[in-house]
Amino acid sequence: MIRTLIVDDERHAREELQALLEEITNFEIIGSCGNALEAVRIINREKPDLLFLDVNMPVLNGFELLSMLEQEHLPQVVFVTAYDEYALKAFEQQALDYLLKPVDAERLKKTVEKVRQFSHEDLPAQYRTAELKRIPCIGANRIKLVDPQSVEFVRSDLSGVHLVTPDGEFFTELTLKTLEERTPLVHCHKQYLVNPSAIDEIMLLEGGLAEIHTSSGHQLPVSRRYLKQLKETFEL
Amino acid sequence: MILIFTLLEQMSIFLVITYLFTKSPAFRPLTSDQLGFRHKLLLYLLFSSFAILGTYLGQPVQDAIANTRSIGPVLAGLIGGPLLGVATGLTGGLHRYLLGGFTATACGISTTLGGLIGGLVHLYLVRRGRGSQIYLPFLAFATMLCVEAAQMATILLLARPFELSLALVKTIAVPMLLANSAGAALLISIIRDQRSAYDRFGAHFSARALTVADRTLGILSKGFNPENAQKLVKIIREETGVGAVSITDREKILAFSGIGDDHHHPGLPIITEYTLRAIKTNQVAYADGVNTPFACPRSPDCPLGSTLVIPLRIEQEVVGTIILFEPKNMMFSHLNRSLGEGLANLFSDQLLRSRYAEQKNLLVQSELKLIQAQVNPHFLFNALNTIIAVVRIDSDRARDLLMHLSNFFRKNLKRSGDVVTLEEDLDHVQSYLKIEKARFGERLKVVTEIDPALLQLKLPTFTLQPIIENAIKHGISQLLEGGQVTISAQKIDGRAEILVEDNAGTYCDKLSDTGLGMNLVDKRIKNQFGPECGVEVSCEPDQKTRVLVRIPLAKEDFA
Repeated sequence: MIRTLIVDDERHAREELQALLEEITNFEIIGSCGNALEAVRIINREKPDLLFLDVNMPVLNGFELLSMLEQEHLPQVVFVTAYDEYALKAFEQQALDYLLKPVDAERLKKTVEKVRQFSHEDLPAQYRTAELKRIPCIGANRIKLVDPQSVEFVRSDLSGVHLVTPDGEFFTELTLKTLEERTPLVHCHKQYLVNPSAIDEIMLLEGGLAEIHTSSGHQLPVSRRYLKQLKETFEL
Repeated sequence: MILIFTLLEQMSIFLVITYLFTKSPAFRPLTSDQLGFRHKLLLYLLFSSFAILGTYLGQPVQDAIANTRSIGPVLAGLIGGPLLGVATGLTGGLHRYLLGGFTATACGISTTLGGLIGGLVHLYLVRRGRGSQIYLPFLAFATMLCVEAAQMATILLLARPFELSLALVKTIAVPMLLANSAGAALLISIIRDQRSAYDRFGAHFSARALTVADRTLGILSKGFNPENAQKLVKIIREETGVGAVSITDREKILAFSGIGDDHHHPGLPIITEYTLRAIKTNQVAYADGVNTPFACPRSPDCPLGSTLVIPLRIEQEVVGTIILFEPKNMMFSHLNRSLGEGLANLFSDQLLRSRYAEQKNLLVQSELKLIQAQVNPHFLFNALNTIIAVVRIDSDRARDLLMHLSNFFRKNLKRSGDVVTLEEDLDHVQSYLKIEKARFGERLKVVTEIDPALLQLKLPTFTLQPIIENAIKHGISQLLEGGQVTISAQKIDGRAEILVEDNAGTYCDKLSDTGLGMNLVDKRIKNQFGPECGVEVSCEPDQKTRVLVRIPLAKEDFA
């Protein structure tokens, strides 16, 4: 079974693709969603094998969605678009395949063949994903796109991942791991990432522990495990 | 007493010379307020000769000369300014000095002084913006009086022995003061009269030329054809009063009006030698009927006896001619000749401008075509994708959407130069919006508030389409949810204001982008209705984008 997620901002486009895929055996559609943020949440939770991804979506497009995923859990990706002009870029991103809307059933079968071959070989998806230029955060009724440089530190607790910036705290669907991979932020504790350029001082404590004072006066714990890495970052 | 008559006698010689001078072409430049170097040189020569002549014609009195020498320098100063006055005075003064006598130095200096005083009066008036008063006879009289008084004072101060100079001044002061001042006033009044005669003549000429220009303005911009040419020849004939006027293109007569119109029919090929030559050589051809004979080649009984053919050009290329005729018993007036040439230039200019406007218009239209062509594939594939999905669930709705798609494309095939009513343009837009609503579902809400009285408003085709497409493509499609487009039209201040507003505010940075087609819509409306109409865009980031289209109401819509 190939566990599949459909991401497209148009409902009819999702329905049509789903209808076409349902005619093909051995596919499990684990869901479909209309924007990149919802997609990140579902992918992080469900870890699908395959993604049918629309390129042109509101706020965050398909390429940006890919840069928000953990490298380790990257599904195979098939881009679906009405716009020819994106095809080249899609291959640059080393997507498995791309489909043009309206999707032709025969063409879709070829794509599925390709997916099956790949999953037999059991290779992890290898997409060259770009550095994150903005981190999407969900507010009360809007989406805030935060520049990684402006993040002082990131805290993760039971309620989720929070970015702390001079403008306030923002909740994001992205995991600490993704943020560490795609931004200049580094781990200082299992539950904390810190922006090296926001560190004011590192106080060394007993027992191989330490404490970071940030430029705006926050104090972050540094665990033994990450202190070494942190020192390497600053070539200490 | 005899002295004063002698002096007045001399003065009359100056008056005659001045009168002749004002009648000569050399005088013309004086009719403008700014004098060139050559004109100043001419005045210098004239007034210097007055100064020298004044000395020679003077009456010897007690080893000195009662004279009219200062008139030249004073007038030179008054008319031409201090520099010219001093130069003239110096020439006259030096000449007098060389002749000797006990007043030689005093006279030499006072003559130069006279030029300077005249010049200073000129400078004073010009600086005060009262340059026209230079030619007031009274002023010349007063200036001259001062200058002569100064001269007397100089003689008393400088000429020795004092007893002699005192005696001299007693004899000559009164005659010279009176004669010279009166003379200066008379001379300046001759110059003034001649100047205003020229001005009146010029004003009359300009008024006629301007009337023709005004009445013919814009006729040619509607096209160089027989119909417009006929309008032109009628106006030209009425305004110039010549025997007949004709306009031709390169091959045939486009229009003819006046004497001989019984056989000079529009549409006939050009056979007159002068016209053919004017077209071939791109030069004015003129046959005055006296030195150069002119005979109408169409009819031996034709009463026309002289002709003036002026080429009409667009960028040096002859496109036709304007021909003026006078009958055999009339002479061509010089005025009508230059007026005719001026008009030909004016019309050539209009032709050039209309051709330019035409090309600009073509450019705008082809740009628009390009944009239409660019937009459609994106929209088309998404629309088809949506309809294919809808077919599975609701075939009636799919059919409805296909009808809208077909209506949209049919309207898109319209020629971009066409004018449509607001109702038709909205219909085009509604088809587009129906499909976009099917695509975006809940994410797109459309509110339409149109004043029904405006439905018949005329506007260029594709006015609303590009604006609404931008609102959807760059606005609503970038929102996760809750998108709304408002289209409203109402009458405000005698104009129709059509407003397209979206609540996304997502393309502020793209508004200057020519790819949006907004500038093109603006250009077309301004082309058609003038600069106070057109498209105005404002944007509040993440809040809304407002596009306001202003169109003038047709007259019957004002009610």
